[in-house]
Parts: sequence; structure tokens; C-alpha cells
Amino acid sequence: MRYEIRVDGHMSDTLAEAFPELERVVMSGQTVLFGSVIDEAHLFGLLARCQSLGLHVVEMRRMPE
Amino acid sequence: MVVSTVATGDRTIGVPAEGRVDPFGDPFLRTRFAVPSRPATFLPRRRLTRHLGQALRTPLTMVNGSAGAGKTLLVADWIATLDRPVTWLTVEAEEQRPGMFWAYFLQALDASGTPLSDRVHVPADPSRVSRKVLSEIAEDLVGRDPAPLVVLDEFDRVSASRIAEQLEFVLQHAGSGLRLVLVTRNEPMFSLHRHRAAGALTEIRDAELAFTPEEAAALLELHGLSLPGDAVHALVERTRGWAAGLRLCALAAQESPDPQAYLKEFEADRSTVADFLLAEVLRRQPRETQDLLLRVSVLDRFCPDLVNGLTHRTDAGRILAELHRDNAFVEQLGQGWYRLHPLFGEILQTHLRVRSPGLEADLHRSAAQWLRRRGTLPEALAHGAAADDWDFTAGALVDDLAIGQFFTGLRSDELNELFSRMGPEAVGPAPELVRAARDLAQSDLDRGMAHLHHAEAGLAGEAGDPAAAQLSWALLEAVAARLTGSPARAEQAAETADEVRPEIPAHLLDKHPELPALLLTHLGSTRLWAGRYEDARAALTEAAECPGGAQTVLPREESMGHLALIDYLNGWPGRAEHKALAAMTETERFSLPQPSGTGIERLVLAAVAVDRNELGRAQSLIDEADELALEIQDPVQAAGRALAAARLQLARGNTRAAVASATPAVSTAVASPWAEGLERVVASAVHLAEGRTGTAAELLRQLPDDRPAWVVEAARLRLAAGETDAALDLLDSLPAESRPGPAVTVRAALVRAQAAAQRGDTETARRLVAQALLGARRERLRRPFIDAGRWIRPYLAAAPVRPLAAGWLVPAAAPPSTAGPAGSRPAVAGPPPAPVVVQELSEREHDVLRGLAQMMSTQEIAADLYLSVNTVKTHLKSLYRKLAVNRRSEAVRRARDLRLL
Repeated sequence: MRYEIRVDGHMSDTLAEAFPELERVVMSGQTVLFGSVIDEAHLFGLLARCQSLGLHVVEMRRMPE
Repeated sequence: MVVSTVATGDRTIGVPAEGRVDPFGDPFLRTRFAVPSRPATFLPRRRLTRHLGQALRTPLTMVNGSAGAGKTLLVADWIATLDRPVTWLTVEAEEQRPGMFWAYFLQALDASGTPLSDRVHVPADPSRVSRKVLSEIAEDLVGRDPAPLVVLDEFDRVSASRIAEQLEFVLQHAGSGLRLVLVTRNEPMFSLHRHRAAGALTEIRDAELAFTPEEAAALLELHGLSLPGDAVHALVERTRGWAAGLRLCALAAQESPDPQAYLKEFEADRSTVADFLLAEVLRRQPRETQDLLLRVSVLDRFCPDLVNGLTHRTDAGRILAELHRDNAFVEQLGQGWYRLHPLFGEILQTHLRVRSPGLEADLHRSAAQWLRRRGTLPEALAHGAAADDWDFTAGALVDDLAIGQFFTGLRSDELNELFSRMGPEAVGPAPELVRAARDLAQSDLDRGMAHLHHAEAGLAGEAGDPAAAQLSWALLEAVAARLTGSPARAEQAAETADEVRPEIPAHLLDKHPELPALLLTHLGSTRLWAGRYEDARAALTEAAECPGGAQTVLPREESMGHLALIDYLNGWPGRAEHKALAAMTETERFSLPQPSGTGIERLVLAAVAVDRNELGRAQSLIDEADELALEIQDPVQAAGRALAAARLQLARGNTRAAVASATPAVSTAVASPWAEGLERVVASAVHLAEGRTGTAAELLRQLPDDRPAWVVEAARLRLAAGETDAALDLLDSLPAESRPGPAVTVRAALVRAQAAAQRGDTETARRLVAQALLGARRERLRRPFIDAGRWIRPYLAAAPVRPLAAGWLVPAAAPPSTAGPAGSRPAVAGPPPAPVVVQELSEREHDVLRGLAQMMSTQEIAADLYLSVNTVKTHLKSLYRKLAVNRRSEAVRRARDLRLL
């Protein structure tokens, strides 16, 4: 499964290290994290990680393969 | 499962509330009960505390907001205004450990001075809690005024688990006796809509937690910053009123030469708020403070001494106090302990990894070493494992004498999980001992023994003080001895243990009562296998009497089960049943995970059920035991199963199946005389049944064991094979001092009776049958009479003997109309499994019976029925008499069988 998670604000390089398994692109005041997600557990783990880093998740969607 | 409901009927479940300890036997972490203190720069917000005031009137309150929204301090601030005790519990990630959560819940109530009564039991198994304990908690809360106010902080750590469901159950059944405040980052799995609809929920969410511009201005004032209104507005916009964001802003601006300009800059920046601000604030801290913050990010909680250990400095106390005073990053937990604000912990850890790759492992190692000296073992193990330092981690476990925990069912899952990450590169005695323990605990004998061998070789070359490792080795050796059925090995292990024990500090031995209990159990089991009954009994009795609550419950249960087997083999089914039930009750008392023992006590109960001709019950007990022992390869268990299953198959007339079941499926160092005796007797019975009289008799000429049970069985079979004199000689050869139990003496009397009947000596036969009935009646031993065959029927039907058999073996006093030919037909061919009730129960006896079924004590029944205790006891006695039982658990079971309940 491939997902993208869009969060508010520009993420610094350091903070991006908290998501080593995802790629990142910054655009118009938002950061898009994207990459393959192993399963649901991983997905919820990513969301929890966003939460504990104080990130605002604006959008999350599954991408076509 | 009738057995367990009955077994628990007699006794209460669980551990008395006084003397509470954490289910692992570790001291409770008092910092988890501490209300976090508010820093000087904290801004009280009246609109929120006013809203929270409603929490006193609703059963459930939820403060639900994102990380850093200021939830915890808000609730702490509100509590400070209350004129009543409040129970505070900081929840930990106990997803898999509801038992631990509830133990802490109860301890938190205790710590806040609003304890529950002693009747409430504490879950002893960290991984579960029984419905009964939850009901007890709820019942105890019902009607409390004022209702205890319980705050669960960081509830998000468990909100999706069973714990939420259990908590809701308690809340629902406590009526108005509990006020629960959940502080959480995400929606708990409660039926919130129902609480909302019923007006039973006070709810504060992110939107309400957000700072208003006025509040933001006041907060900035506290930091010595005075901003124009529109600047504050913009700031609130940028941070969305997020408390952590505003606080970081204030801190960063304070440090900057032109705070206003700085804040403008921040507004314009498009970075994520926390990330940007944290990096800013961190950058402005003195170097040593930055270093400290990064280093402590690997810890859940810390005190200055521990932090000094990680920073190699001595000023942690001062820096932590300053950080707390400035409300930057750390929260104070009381008693000199701190934690990072949960939001910053994660970010700091990320910074640590980027700035100092590789340092994390070193930090975990230092923390593990400090915790090994000053903290608890589980914390030390967790950090040791996080450092990937397996020599240390395995060494800590072994030196602490905790290796037995792999076998007690309490912590075994956790330890297994922890050490499953240990790679093959860790060598040395301690890692090998741990590997051996893991393998043996999973009955992987070959691998376990190979590791044990490596450990032994390593220990021989070890300098220093390896006493704890030696004792650990002795325990594992005893496990291996038991599983391979080698008594010499077990005795050797026990001797080694006795030799090294004096060298071990007393406090370690006190801390781990499970180790000697396990060792004695394995020794006893091995001795029992080898047929050394009295030696086995000595070791098992000592093990069964070991102190230690939950830690030793498994070895105690197993020892009781083995002792029950010895009683059974000696012909005392009643005693065996009593011990087996006690063993099962004990496990349930502590609500241990069920598949933890070998299930030997169930097999004993099954064998007893066969003797009573309760074949359906025997079958279901064997099935239960099989389910428990799926992975287990234990000789005594296998032989016990062979015993119960072969007897059951014989009773059902399945001779082939009986032969197949009679051989235990294990390979052992030495043979077991009783297991072989059984095999021999079963084989002989089958040959006899299939008409091969000679072969049957031949098999019994040399018995591997001179147990009276087998001798009598052999005598019966030889009598049936036509060798009357040999049969009587066998019985005469029984030593008078062997004092076997009724299961043996009843059968012996029946053999003699049959011999007398064959001689035509009716009078002696009748006297002997009567004697057998007298011995069998109390134990309800039906099987010997059914096995006796056709000759006994006229004797049972004859007038002077019949009353002895009536009610439990043959139908009770038949009505006169059927007293003719039908009445003389004895029911021996297939007596009903449950006897007919001789006499109707009175109404009062019915009431008492219903009380028994609800597991009420005699006192409770008396109170319930407005009777005196003595009157209830009188009713109980006549109830027992009418149901032909001796105990309340039996009474309930019998009553259910007879559909009286």
C-alpha cells in the first residue's frame, strides 16, 4: 500500500528523520510525506507519530499503485 | 466448565487487598500517583476550571486534546482548588497488561487515602484481570459518598485496549460511586455517545483548550513579554492557540534581543510550529542543557542522579530545577523525579539521532547500569535490551536470580519477547542460561539441553562469584531432568542447588521464592516418575507449602496436582480429588493464564471420575487437559493422561483404544514402574476381554511395581482368568502396613467376595460385598462393582445388602408396585451417573442450595435468609445427606445434575 500524509507547515530535515521510511516533499506551506506502508498497524503508527510530534495532519490518502 | 465454577464456590478468589504489591512483585512506582506540579509561569484559566467543575456531577469526564494542549496541567490546577482527595494515576503503555493497570488503579486509590475495602482482590497476573475482580471493584464503589474522583492521565496509552472496556464496565456498575476523568490525546473506546445523550459526560476538547488572545496575552505577560493586541492575535492564529506553541514562542522570544521582531519572524515562517520552536528554544539553551535534554530523551522518567550518570556531569539537579521552573521541556513528578513533556520527548529523540548517531545505545547502556543498581530489574532489562547489550541484560537477569520467571507464567511472555531479540553473537554462561530457559520453557528439549551444556562449560571456566548462575543452572538442570525422566540428574541438580544456596545473598532468595519452589516441584515430579513415592511426596509437599503468592502459584499448583496423583495411585480418590480441586482453585485465585500448568490435576480428576463411572465428565476433563498441555512433553503428565484415558476406554469397552492410550508418548532416561504397571494391567485386561486368558495371566506374573493398586488389579484379573488361588495369594501378599485407600480395599474385598461366591460360600460373599459397599459409598466408587461382572447382581439386590447400595449405585427404595421382578433387577449394568435423590429437599434447603450456587458463604446465606448461622449449618448437613455429598462444591454440582437448580 502506498500512502501520502499531508501535514501543515514545512518540516525541518531533523524532524523528517522521525519518518525515515517515508519520502518528503515540501509545497505551499505543507509537507507531504509519502511512501509504502506495510499494513494498517504501520499506518496508525505513523499517525500516532505525527500526533506525538505535534504535527497537524491535513490529509491522508491511499495512492494508486 | 463446571469444575471451575464449583471449585471456586468454596473459597474466595484473588489475593487479599492488604500488603498490595505490583503483580510482578516490584514496588509500585509512586511517581505515577503524583499530581504534576504547576510551574511558576503556568496560567490558570478560570473558564476551563469552571467547566471542569461539572466533573463532580458526571460519572465521566474527558479532557481530550492534542499533545501539548495543556491538558494535564489544567486538570492539576483544577484539582488544587478542590477540597477533597483526588486519585491520580499516570497511565503507562499497558496495552497487554490489564492486570497491571488494575493493580495500579487500586493502589492509586489507596495512595490518595480513599482505598477500597479489603474484600476487593487485586489481580495477581499482570496480563489479565477477571470479571469477578472488576465486579468487586464496582460493587465496592457503589454508594460511595463522596464518590472517589479518579484522574487517568495519558489515557491515550491504553485507550484502544481491553482496559477501556473494563473501565467502562466498572464505571457502569459503580452507579454514582465513581467520578472518572480521562486525560487523553485521542478518543477512548468508550460509548461516549451514550454518556453524552444521558448528560453523563463532561467534555473538554481541543477547541476549548485553545488559548484565546486574552489568555495568550496573559501568558506572555507571565514571561515578561508585553505585545500589542494585533501581534497577540497573529500569534494565536499562527499557533492555533496551541499551549505548547505559545509557551515555546514566549521562551524563544524572551531570549531574543528584540522579542517583537522575533515573533513577527515566527509568524511569517511556514515551518511546522513545534519543530521550529523546539529547535529554536533548544538552540538558545546553554550547551550543557541542550546535551542533557537530548540525552534524557531515551528515558521515560529520570532523577538527577540517573541523569548525571548519562551526562557524566554533576549538575543535573540544578539544570532540571531550572528547566522545570521555566516550564521548558520537563515536568516534575515529585520525589525528585521528572519526565520530559511527552511532546518534546519524541522530537528530542529525533534530534539526538541526527546529532549523535550511535549515542543512543550508549545512553541505554548507562541507564541500564544505573537502574540495575538503583531501579527495578524490568527497567534495567528494557534498557539493556534497547542497548543491544545482551551480556549485560542476560547477566542482570541471572544475577538477580530471576531466571525462574520464565516458568512461572507471570512474566514469561514479557521475558520471552525481550530476549527474542538476542542474537547468536552473545556468548557466555548468562546468555546461554537464558537461551536454555527459553527453550526448556517451550519444551524444546534438544536445543535447551545444548544451551544448558554450553552454560555449564562456561560456568566451569568462570572466575569470580557465579553462585547465582550456578543456582540458575541447577534449576534448569532440574527442568531438563524432569522432562527427560532422569532421577539421577534431578538429584544432582538439587545437590548443586543446596551447595551454592548459602553463597547467595538472603535478600535475593527472599525476592525469588519461585526458584526453590520450582526446583522442588521438578525434583518431586522426577521422583514420582521413578516410582519413589515417599521421596516425591516429601519434595512436593515442601513445594506446595512454599510462600510467595502469585510468584509461586504455578509450582504450588503443579505440586498439589502431583500429590493428588500419588493419592490416587494409593487408592484415595476422595483425597486426590480434594487436592486436585485445591490446585485448580489456587490457579484461579490468581487468575493465571490458563495454559500455564501441565494440567495434571485435571487428569487426576478424570481418573477419579472414571472410578465413579462418570464417564462423560472424565472425557471432558481429559479434553481440557489435552488443550492445556498441547505443547508440553512431560513424562508424569503423559503417564497421568495414559492412566485416565486407558481406564476410561476400558470402562467404555473400547479395548483397542485402551491399549493405545496406555503407553505414555514420551521417551525417558528411566522407566516408570507405575506407568508400566498400568500398561501391564490394561494389556492384561484387554487380553482377558478378548478371551486370551493365558496371555492375560502371563502378563501379570511379574509386576514392575508392588503398588497395592496393581496387585489387587492383578488379583482380579487372575481370578477372572480362573486362577483363584493365585489371586487370593496375591491379596494375602499385600503387606498389612501398606494401608491403601478405599479404591484398593474395595476392589480387594470384591475379589475375595467373588472367590467366596465361586466356592458357594454365599454368607462370606455377602459379608464381603457389604464391606465393599461400605467402603465405596462415601467415595461413590461405582466402577469396581460394574467391573465385578454378573455374579454380583444377586448380592446387590438381596435384602440385607441392598440399602447400602441404594441411592448411589442402584435406584433407591423402589415403589412397592415395581418391587417384583423389575425391582430385583440391579442397575449394575449401567447405573445412572448421578444418583436418585432419596428424599425431597425442603423449601429452606432449596434456599440454602441456591445460596451455595451463588458462591455465598454460610454467613452470607444466613444473613440473606434471616436465619442463624447454626440453622444454616443444620440445613447444609441435611442437604449433604440428601444429595449424598460431602462438600458444598459437590452439592452444587449434584444439584445441577439433578436439575434442582
